[in-house]
Amino acid sequence: MVLSPDTASPIQSKRQAMRKSRRRTIVRHTILILWGLLIMFPIYWMVQTSFKDSGEWVTWPPNWVPHSPTLQNYGQIFTFDITKEGVARQATEQPFNIWGALGDSVLICTLSALIALFMGTFLAYAISRFNVGGSKFRHSVLIIRMIPPIVIAIPLLMYYAIMVPLAAETVLGTRISLFDTRVGMSLLYITITLPFVIWMMLTFIEEVPYSLEHAARIMGAGRMYTLRRVVLPLVASGMVVTFLFVFILNWAEFLLALTLTHPDVTTLPVLLNKFQSASEGRLYGPQAAIGTIITIPVIVLGMIIQKHLIKGFSFGTIRK
Amino acid sequence: MANIRLTELVKEFGSTVAVKGISLDIENGEFLIIVGPSGCGKTTTLNMISGLETPTAGEIMIGDRVVNDVEPGDRGLGMVFQDLALFPHMSVFENIAFGLRVQKMEDQEVQERVRAAAEALYILPLLYKRPNQCSGGESQRVALARTIVNNPDVFLMDEPLSSLDAKLRVDMRTELKRLHDRLKATFVYVTHDQAEAMTMADRIVVMNGGKVEQVGSPLDIYDTPMTQFVAGFFGMPTMNFLEGVLTSSNGDPIFKSGSLEISLPEESTQNIKDNKVVLGIRSEHVSVSDGALRGQARIIEPLGDASLVYFEFGEEEELVAKVSPELRISPGDQLMFSLQASHCHLFDQSDGHRLN
Repeated sequence: MVLSPDTASPIQSKRQAMRKSRRRTIVRHTILILWGLLIMFPIYWMVQTSFKDSGEWVTWPPNWVPHSPTLQNYGQIFTFDITKEGVARQATEQPFNIWGALGDSVLICTLSALIALFMGTFLAYAISRFNVGGSKFRHSVLIIRMIPPIVIAIPLLMYYAIMVPLAAETVLGTRISLFDTRVGMSLLYITITLPFVIWMMLTFIEEVPYSLEHAARIMGAGRMYTLRRVVLPLVASGMVVTFLFVFILNWAEFLLALTLTHPDVTTLPVLLNKFQSASEGRLYGPQAAIGTIITIPVIVLGMIIQKHLIKGFSFGTIRK
Repeated sequence: MANIRLTELVKEFGSTVAVKGISLDIENGEFLIIVGPSGCGKTTTLNMISGLETPTAGEIMIGDRVVNDVEPGDRGLGMVFQDLALFPHMSVFENIAFGLRVQKMEDQEVQERVRAAAEALYILPLLYKRPNQCSGGESQRVALARTIVNNPDVFLMDEPLSSLDAKLRVDMRTELKRLHDRLKATFVYVTHDQAEAMTMADRIVVMNGGKVEQVGSPLDIYDTPMTQFVAGFFGMPTMNFLEGVLTSSNGDPIFKSGSLEISLPEESTQNIKDNKVVLGIRSEHVSVSDGALRGQARIIEPLGDASLVYFEFGEEEELVAKVSPELRISPGDQLMFSLQASHCHLFDQSDGHRLN
């Protein structure tokens, strides 16, 4: 008996389809892997440079791996004693250790992220429950993020270095400057990240059904009690995500910090830029070491956020 | 214990008027059910009683005080929500204890009262579970326990059974009624399910379009609906309606609709001025085993204890009859039917009000 084409074709076409989909998978993965390599390569180059001796930083052709791996760069940025021989050799007028900048960065980023989170959460609650600012406010609040930082950098410098001290002197009789201060930087970071906090917390707060708050009110709970016992615990993981997200934004901010600080306050991205010596130009090794150190918290926090995001977004299942 | 009095209650949301001047007296210890289609203003009315919504105009009295400006928590109410509103991050115990904790009650007393409430609703083994670990019926009991633990004078319930499956819903109805008998508190219950209203209520308030259509006992409402809307809303299947005119032959009133002519009892049509009417008749008052009118069966729906026969007559007019299941009728069968004239309801064609 001859197999009719009708009965054979489904099997054939199934095989063809499988072959086609496998080919598609291979192409897709190849593109993604190449793209991944392209993205990851500078990070690899930074990390491996941080382990290179000064002689290897700019050799041509480049060394793809350090020939004589060294911790010297890390030693230099983590040293406590900047007068030490090996360090002082390359030193210009800049102190080449990371501790001061690390302290400034951690303090400014944490403080401003916490305050922005606190303010933003309550603002988001007010917008969500009382429609503060009207129905379009939640969208217009993001506009502040659309302004390129370079546009506000110089006007802010004016305010920080001239207007505020002048006003303080006129009104209070003492000169108070926001330029090159931790408070000044924190205020700035609170302002520019607040829209993000409001936007993100709005999403989380809107997930909490009104009926939960109504139930609490009927049982005699006041607004603050309800907020503390019902709403905030339900958006806690959202608050963690938002805090970390904002912290990362602040941690990596460069332009405004560069414009509005010098020489007392230095954040890590600004410090990175200061690593050059009169004799050798850019100090790529220590720069790469600092870059690596700065990147680590970003990667770790990013991973934590990922987990919390999944947890945060599962709130839609409150209603059975 | 408390009675509730609503006087000319109005609620507007912007240009929409959700509740258009409702006046209602709810007796102490009564099980009152507000029923109506979605958007009829029943939940808004309940929310105004609870204090979650402020009335635009009118007055709400609970007991002998006006509560318009009293906070929800100070009105002595308990409420069960449509989505139950259990706090997902707290154990069942803490959910039930919430109201007591707000009052800063001693821990010992909280323990005792929560346990007593849980025992009354058979949920003692659930106390240390989270709400999302409870089944639909269990969550329902937790929500009820959370309400009764505060000993409110008035229980407000906003479609609390709507999330349950059909069987559980019927069981919970009986249980709610038992709970009402035991607590002897005032229950105000909102639902869109006429069967729930019929089975549980002492009195039913039927609402439509922000207004009260009728207030009465379940049987009153079923037997003597005051408007065509109420007549159509209650009863399964929906009441048959036929548009027609009232005429008379030899002094006897006759309802005429197409080829159909029914002579009505004289006293039922005495006060009717306009002759354009809608005749309503429930399916159980339509007989298909004997009669002088000819029809043809279209669809048969066996219910077990009875069968519904949908049949056509005249110019594609349709009626439904509820008949004994022993009566074997198949789709397409010719049948002779009659309507019990004493059970006919007559409504005004223009405004739907009852005429007889």
